[in-house]
Amino acid sequence: MGTAVTTLVKDSPPQAPQKRPAAPGDAKRRGRRENLAGYLFMSPWIAGFLLLTAGPMVASLYFAFTDYNLFTAPKWIGFDNFTKMFEDPRWQKSVEVTAKYVVIGTPLKLLLALGVALLLAQSRRGQGFYRAAFYAPSLIGASVSVGFVWRALFSDDAIVDRTQSLFGMDVGGWVGNADWILYCLVALTVWQFGAPMVIFLAGLKQVPRELYEAAEVDGAGPLRRFWSITLPMISPVLFFNVLLETIHSFQIFGSAYVVSNTSCGPADATLVYTCYLYQKGFKEAQMGFASAMAWMLLLAVALVTAVLFWSQKRWVHYEEAAR
Amino acid sequence: MGTNGNLERRTILKAAGASLATVGLAATTGCGGNSGAGDGTVTIRYAWWGAEERTKRINQTIALFEKKYPKIKVETDFQDYVAFWEKFQTQAAGGNPPDVFQNSVAFLRKYDKRGVLLDLKSQVDAGNLSMDNFRAGVEKVGEVDGKLLGVPVGSNTMSLVIDEKVFEKAGIKAEQGWTWDEYFAALEKIRNTQKVAGDTGYFGIMYLYDLYLRQNGKAFFTEDGLGFTEADLTEWWTDGYNRVKAGIITDPKKVEQLKPKSSLAAGEGASEFTWDNFTVRYTTEGDSTYGLAPIPTTDGKQTGQYLSSLMLSASSRTKHPKEVAQFIDFMVHDPEVGKIMGYDRGILATTEQFEAYQPTDAPQKAIAQYEKDVAEAGVLGPITPHPSGADTVEAAFLRIAGDVGLGKSKVSDAVKQFFSEAETALAA
Repeated sequence: MGTAVTTLVKDSPPQAPQKRPAAPGDAKRRGRRENLAGYLFMSPWIAGFLLLTAGPMVASLYFAFTDYNLFTAPKWIGFDNFTKMFEDPRWQKSVEVTAKYVVIGTPLKLLLALGVALLLAQSRRGQGFYRAAFYAPSLIGASVSVGFVWRALFSDDAIVDRTQSLFGMDVGGWVGNADWILYCLVALTVWQFGAPMVIFLAGLKQVPRELYEAAEVDGAGPLRRFWSITLPMISPVLFFNVLLETIHSFQIFGSAYVVSNTSCGPADATLVYTCYLYQKGFKEAQMGFASAMAWMLLLAVALVTAVLFWSQKRWVHYEEAAR
Repeated sequence: MGTNGNLERRTILKAAGASLATVGLAATTGCGGNSGAGDGTVTIRYAWWGAEERTKRINQTIALFEKKYPKIKVETDFQDYVAFWEKFQTQAAGGNPPDVFQNSVAFLRKYDKRGVLLDLKSQVDAGNLSMDNFRAGVEKVGEVDGKLLGVPVGSNTMSLVIDEKVFEKAGIKAEQGWTWDEYFAALEKIRNTQKVAGDTGYFGIMYLYDLYLRQNGKAFFTEDGLGFTEADLTEWWTDGYNRVKAGIITDPKKVEQLKPKSSLAAGEGASEFTWDNFTVRYTTEGDSTYGLAPIPTTDGKQTGQYLSSLMLSASSRTKHPKEVAQFIDFMVHDPEVGKIMGYDRGILATTEQFEAYQPTDAPQKAIAQYEKDVAEAGVLGPITPHPSGADTVEAAFLRIAGDVGLGKSKVSDAVKQFFSEAETALAA
């Protein structure tokens, strides 16, 4: 590499552009032209952003304050959609189901991800294979087909049901059981712990070995070492994972929609927030209400994110701060 | 080689030019009768809902149609019921619904109000579509406020499907005019002697509740709202829930878990209320023999039944109203089409098709016999109106009754919830 670079420099013409005393107007014009070229190269993305993201978002903000059934012009109704929302028992139910999913699913997933990452952080034979194997589910996890597989696994008289029956727990399949089906979705998200696991692994690699050695000399056991060294050292990574997974959990739709066979039931047991939003918007054609729901979700996620950021002062240790 | 290449290039250029011209034409004319290829061939889009079996049959009928009308091409699209109407609504809202599609009474007013449906009267007057030879009772199903919004393809009526073996073993005979008291006593007897629930959950079926209300001089819907009170529904659902607890109705949890299989076919119940043309599924799914029994009555006479129908409707946006009318006309009158479709969408609506098709298998024969018996018993009345939003109301009725059955909502809360959701749906 080094030689190649020097040759290039040697071969470059004596009047290299940076050496030429350029007129200020010339540089400006060229800068503008370069800017223009840059924007031109970006234009597909900009057009996509404006047409497919920003435009619809502005429209949805407007619809949120209207009564809009897709067929007749939207009618301005102020905050009615929002007040109706709080009085709607199904909306309350959807908030409850989503909260339950986030609160149960996210910590379980992160715990498992951290646990497996700790195991895989130690060097052992076949390490690469194990890492790949544990990561694989999150690669395919987001797809609809896995939802179908999950539905098949947890249906009445399917493999999970039969195995459970062997142990005398005959629940007749989780999928049709209003008390169990949400845990089926939790199991699905927990199973996809690969992405946070990889991030944890990277974080664990960053912890200086000498800290452990020093602690060991001082007689700290494995638990103490984890609690006093590992956890504080990886807390920024943990914070990142908590943030990402929490936001992600709030947006659950695909798995709930597919596993419940598009009904988000039985008895609204899997009526997660976005599922209800979808039903309101596309089944009942109450686009105004659905838009209002979307903005409410955005507000809720923003609030949770803000709380998490505020809380990190208390438990996240950045190296710069520690030194 | 060289000439070949040139030729090819020229053809491609020509084709490109032609397609550009077509795009231009389509964009500028908008309402021309002959957009599409230059030779007058017209393409219409046809969409329906239903199972695989129906699709196979319909595809055969389309092949027949295209043979008779070589200038009309038919593009097809189908889903199951729920997905179909979701997609249809989105397409219609975007101004791009299929030209012709399967429809049911629950959607006539809804999409008429939104200006989606074509009034086929003008096509009848123009001679492209004949409304003659429809069997008595179905000819007016597609008419709303003097407009012809749908053309019936087959009639159906609510019925009671029973597991004949279980009924026989319990010594129960279902007769025309039997009462609800007799029906529920029979269910109790089945539970006691056959150790199986008698019914799979009648109280969530909107169309059955409609019959019960009709027996009592009311109806589920009026022209623009609900035809019953909160007190009526409270009674209906309270009785239903008590019967679940008493074990004469299949445990709703079990019903949910068995889906998509019917609990009746799975042997977890002895009877189920449903449309008579759906009954073929039980023989396919289950091991017992299944028959059609009369709807229980309040006064020993009136069942409240009426003939309903699936229909073919056209989009008001279609650029080819004439071809669409010809298509519908062919599909409802051609005897060969009748032979292919059988009773898949109900007893064939026109006399040409009805006479052309002779059912050979037992379930289809039973359906024909059932509608004949019902007609002869003289219990058929005019169809209940379905205001705009009826489809959403039906879905809410089923879902909320399910919550009641599972014990997830108190009846009083459930009734309030239903009336609130119905009000929103009917106002939309």
